[in-house]
Amino acid sequence: MAETAFTADDFQPAAATESAQTVSRPSLSYWQDAWIRLKANRRALFSLYLVIGLSLFTLIGPLIWTVDPSLQDLEQISQPPGANRDAVVVMPHRPWDGTVRLPEIRGLELAEPATTQSVRLAWAPLPNAAGYRLYRNLFPAGEGQALGLPLFETASLNERHFEDRLDLKPRTYHYSVAALDTQGRMTGAVHRLELAVARVVTAQEAQAMGLVAEAGQLKPGDRIKLRAHPLGTDYLGRDLLARLMAGARVSLFIGIAAPLLFIAFGVIYGAAAGFLGGWADQALMRFSDFVVALPFLLFMILLRVASGVQPGESGITPMVLAMVLLSWPAAARLVRGQILQIREEGYISASRLLGGGAPYLVLRHMIPNTLGVILVTMTFAVPTAIFTEAFLSFIGMGVAPPTPSWGSMCNEGIKTMLTTPHELIFPALFISVTVLAFNLLGDGLRDALDARMRSAE
Amino acid sequence: MTGAPDRGGEAAFNRSAARQLGLFGLAILVGLAALMWGLNLLASLTATAGGAPPAVDAANNAITVMLTEEPPQLDSTRSTDQVSGIVLGHVMEGLLRYDDRGELAPGMAEQWRIDEGGATFQLRADARWSDGQPVTAHDFVFAWRLGLDPENASEYAFILYPIKNAEAINRGELAVTELGARAIDERTLAVEFERPIAFFDKLTAFSTYLPVREDFYRATEGRYGADADQLLYNGPFALSSWVHGQSLRLDRNPHYWDQARIRLDRINVGYITSDPNTRLNLFKDEKIVMANLAAENLTNALEQRWHIQRHMDGSIFYLDFNHREERLTRNLNLRKAMILAQDPGELVYKVTKTPGYLPGESLFPRFLEGERGKFRDEHPAPTYQLDVQAARAHLEAARRELGLEAFPPLVLLAGDNPVSNIQTEYFQAVFKKNLGLDIKIDRQIFKQRLAKMTAGDFDLVLAGWGPDYNDPLTFGDLYASWNLNNRGRYASPEYDRQVRIAQGAMDAPTRMAAFAEMQRIIHEDVVIIPNYERGVAYVTHPRVKGIVRRVVGADTDYTYAWIE
Repeated sequence: MAETAFTADDFQPAAATESAQTVSRPSLSYWQDAWIRLKANRRALFSLYLVIGLSLFTLIGPLIWTVDPSLQDLEQISQPPGANRDAVVVMPHRPWDGTVRLPEIRGLELAEPATTQSVRLAWAPLPNAAGYRLYRNLFPAGEGQALGLPLFETASLNERHFEDRLDLKPRTYHYSVAALDTQGRMTGAVHRLELAVARVVTAQEAQAMGLVAEAGQLKPGDRIKLRAHPLGTDYLGRDLLARLMAGARVSLFIGIAAPLLFIAFGVIYGAAAGFLGGWADQALMRFSDFVVALPFLLFMILLRVASGVQPGESGITPMVLAMVLLSWPAAARLVRGQILQIREEGYISASRLLGGGAPYLVLRHMIPNTLGVILVTMTFAVPTAIFTEAFLSFIGMGVAPPTPSWGSMCNEGIKTMLTTPHELIFPALFISVTVLAFNLLGDGLRDALDARMRSAE
Repeated sequence: MTGAPDRGGEAAFNRSAARQLGLFGLAILVGLAALMWGLNLLASLTATAGGAPPAVDAANNAITVMLTEEPPQLDSTRSTDQVSGIVLGHVMEGLLRYDDRGELAPGMAEQWRIDEGGATFQLRADARWSDGQPVTAHDFVFAWRLGLDPENASEYAFILYPIKNAEAINRGELAVTELGARAIDERTLAVEFERPIAFFDKLTAFSTYLPVREDFYRATEGRYGADADQLLYNGPFALSSWVHGQSLRLDRNPHYWDQARIRLDRINVGYITSDPNTRLNLFKDEKIVMANLAAENLTNALEQRWHIQRHMDGSIFYLDFNHREERLTRNLNLRKAMILAQDPGELVYKVTKTPGYLPGESLFPRFLEGERGKFRDEHPAPTYQLDVQAARAHLEAARRELGLEAFPPLVLLAGDNPVSNIQTEYFQAVFKKNLGLDIKIDRQIFKQRLAKMTAGDFDLVLAGWGPDYNDPLTFGDLYASWNLNNRGRYASPEYDRQVRIAQGAMDAPTRMAAFAEMQRIIHEDVVIIPNYERGVAYVTHPRVKGIVRRVVGADTDYTYAWIE
C-alpha cells in the first residue's frame, strides 16, 4: 500500500475554467428544438408554406392584381379560365325594323353578320303555316319537337324576321323556325340554320371597361382584346381571382381574429380556474359548461339582430363576437386540465418554496408549459372558424354584397354548378386547401411542441 | 418513424409496400362500389314501397306535380298568393271560370246578364258542393260579405269594391248586410254596382269571389281552409289529404257538374320546393310532370333534348321608388337620373338570360287587350334610352335641390331568391358605375319584404305585379293614391282622375285613352323603373297532355290534363 502524502497544494481551490462542463452539442432552446422537429416533418412544412402563400395571396395579391372585385364585365359572364377574349369593335345597337338587304330569302337566313350583340334572322314562308315559332339550340336539333329554346312566336304570316339578343356567346348556334297550325301546334315543316357568332363590343363598352382611354380611339372593325380573367368570371362577369383575393381577406380575418381572441380569453379563464381550484374552479367550469350548451346559430342570429346590423351591411363584427362568446370553453377546459396537472409538479413546489408568488408561478411556469397545447388548439381553431364563416356566408348570414367571401362565392357558384363549374370549384378549393393546410400545420406543431403527444408516424 | 433500412431491403420493402397498398386500395374501391350499389338498391326499394309516386301513374290515372311553396291557407276570402290561387283553381269554381284557352267560360253560373247598374247570375241546377248539397246564391253573398268584413281583414277586399256599399262596409261604416248583393232565390244572384263597371264578369273568376257555405264555415270555428277537411269544395277536384310542409293530394270531385271535362282521377302534389336545381332533378328522374327552368338549367335541358316550351305569365317586374315625404327618392331628378342610368335590355339579355323575358317599357304588359288589338300596339309606351351624361346632369340637379353634399347610400329592398339576388347586385354595380350612387341591398323573405314595403322602410324596392283579372285596370289602379298596394305611396291627382275614369267608363275608347294617359304619367313622373315582363321556359312530361298555362287565373291548371 503506497503512502499518500498530501501537500498543502492539494487543498488549494481549483481554478475556475471555462471548460469545466463542456456541452458537446450546441444548446437548444425549446423553440429551436421545436423548429427542428417541425422542419423534419415534410407535411407540416409544406402546409406552413401554403399558409405563408395564402397570406401573401391575401396581402400582396391585391397589390399585384389590381382589379376591382365588384367590377362587372357583362361581355364575359360566367367565362371559364383561359377563354378566348378577342373581340371586334362595332357600332352601338340600334333597333331593327326587319328590313333585309338580301336579294332572295331561301329557308332561314342571316340578315346581317351574327354577333354577340344581335343575330338578325329572316325566313321564307313555310307551307301551310298559320304562324311561326323560332328556336335556338346549342346542339344540332334532332327530329320531333325538341328544337331548343323557344325564343319567338308569332301568329302573323308577314312577320318573318326576328332579332335574337338573348345571352349570345361567341360559339356556334343552331336555329330553327317551325311552322304552326291555327291551334299553335307544330306542323312539322322546319327551316334550319347553323351559324357562328362573333364576339363584338362597342367603343363605349370598351371605354367603360377601361380597355381604352377614349371611345373615339376605336372605330368599327378594330380588333381588341377584352379584359383578362386568369381564373374566369362569375355570373355577373366579375373577376374570380380578384374576388378570391378580396374574399380571402374576409375569410382569413375571421379565421385568425376570432381564434386569437377566444383562445386568449379561454387561456386566462382556464388558467384562473385551474390555479385557484376548489369552489372557484367548480363555479367557473360550470359556467363554461353552460356556455357550451348555447346553440351557436341561434345565438349568432340574436347577436346580429341585437347589434343593430342594418340590412345591406356586412355582419362580420357580430360573427366574430358570437364566435368569441361561444367558442372559448374548449380552450379554457384544455388549459385548466393542464394547469391542474402542472400545479402538482415538483418544480412548482420548489418554486413556491423559494418564494414564488401566484402571478409568477402562473406566468413563469404554468402558461409556458401549456403553450404547446395552446398553439395547437389555435391552429385547429383557425380552420373551424374559416369553415364557420363560409357556412354562415353560404346561408346568407355573413357578408353583404358586393363584398365577397369564399362562403358566399360558393353559395353563388353552386347554382351554376352543372354549366359553369369553375365558379364553385375555385372558392371551394381555396376553402379546402386553407382548412387542410391549417389542420396539417396544427398536427405538425403538436408533434413538434409536445413530445408526449407525438402521433406515431 | 421507421429507422433507415439497408439498401437492398429498402427496394424489397418498397415493392411489398406498394403491392399491399395497391391491394388495399383495390379492396376499398370494391367495397365502396358494393356499398353504393347496396344503398342504391335500398333506396329504390323504399321508393317503390312507400315513397312519392312517379310522375305518371297510368294505372291509377294520376299525375304528380310540385308547388314552389305551401299555401299559407286555403280560405278563398283571405288568400293573396299565387300558390293558393293554383290550388283553389283546382278545387273551387266561381260564377265564371277560365277555360283551356284562357277565355271566360260559364262556371257555377249558367247564364248571366250585366248592365250599367248591376248584374244577375243564374246558377246551374247541378252545381254541388263536395258533400252533395247544392251551391246556392247565398253561398256567394256570404263569401263576399266575409271578404269585406273588417274583422276578416282580407287584403284583397278592394277587389269586391265594385259591388254597392262594399268599400263602406270594408271601412266599417256600414253593416255587412248592406252589401249590394242579394240572393233572390236559391239559384238567382243579383248584384248592384257602386258605379258602372265594364269588366265585372272577369272579376267573378277571381278567388276572392269564390263561394263559401255559411254553415260549414261556422262549423270550422275559425279554421276554415287550414286543412283538407276544413274546406268544402265545388271545383273539379277536392283535397283529400294535406300533409303540411310536405304534400297535398287532389282527387276527382264526384259531385262536380262538368264531369266530362275532367280526365284525371288524381293529382299528387308530391313536392314543395322553390329550388330550381331540385326541380330539374325531379323532372329528370320522372318524379314530376312539369318543371319551370331557371336560366342556369337551360343548357342542361338542351342536352337532355327536352321539348322546351315558353309561356308569358303576364307579370311585370320593376324598381318601385319610395315617394314618401322624407325620402330622397321623392326627388324627380334623382328618379330621372336612375332611370336614365340603366338599360332594361342589358338586364334581360345579359343578366337574367331566360328566354321569354321582355325588356320592361311600361306598367302595362303586352298581353292586355286594347280597343281592337293589343293595348300596347295601339298606345306604344314612351321609353328612356340609356344616357349616362344626361343621368349625371339630373343627379347633380337632384343633389342641389336636396341640398346635399353627397348622396347617402340608398336602400334597395328585395326578395331573397336567386333571380332577385342577381338583379340587385347588377343594379348595385350599375348605379355605382354610372352615377356613383351607393346602394345597400336589403334581402328579405317574402312576408318580411311585404311588411317592410307596407311600412315604407325602403328607398327602392324590387317589386312585381301579376294580373288579377284580364283588364288593364288591374295594373292601372296600382298607383292610385288610395290603393294599399301602392307601397311607395305615389300620389298624383291627375293619375287618380284617370283611374276614376277607367273605373267608371263603360266604353273602350274612353277607358283606353285613360290607360294611355296613366302610362304617360308613369313615364314622365318616373314612378317606377320597368325591368321586364316575365316569361317562363318550362318542360312537360311527354305522356301528359293538356296542361294549361295562362296569364289570368290559376297558372298552372291541370284540370284539363290527361295521360296519353
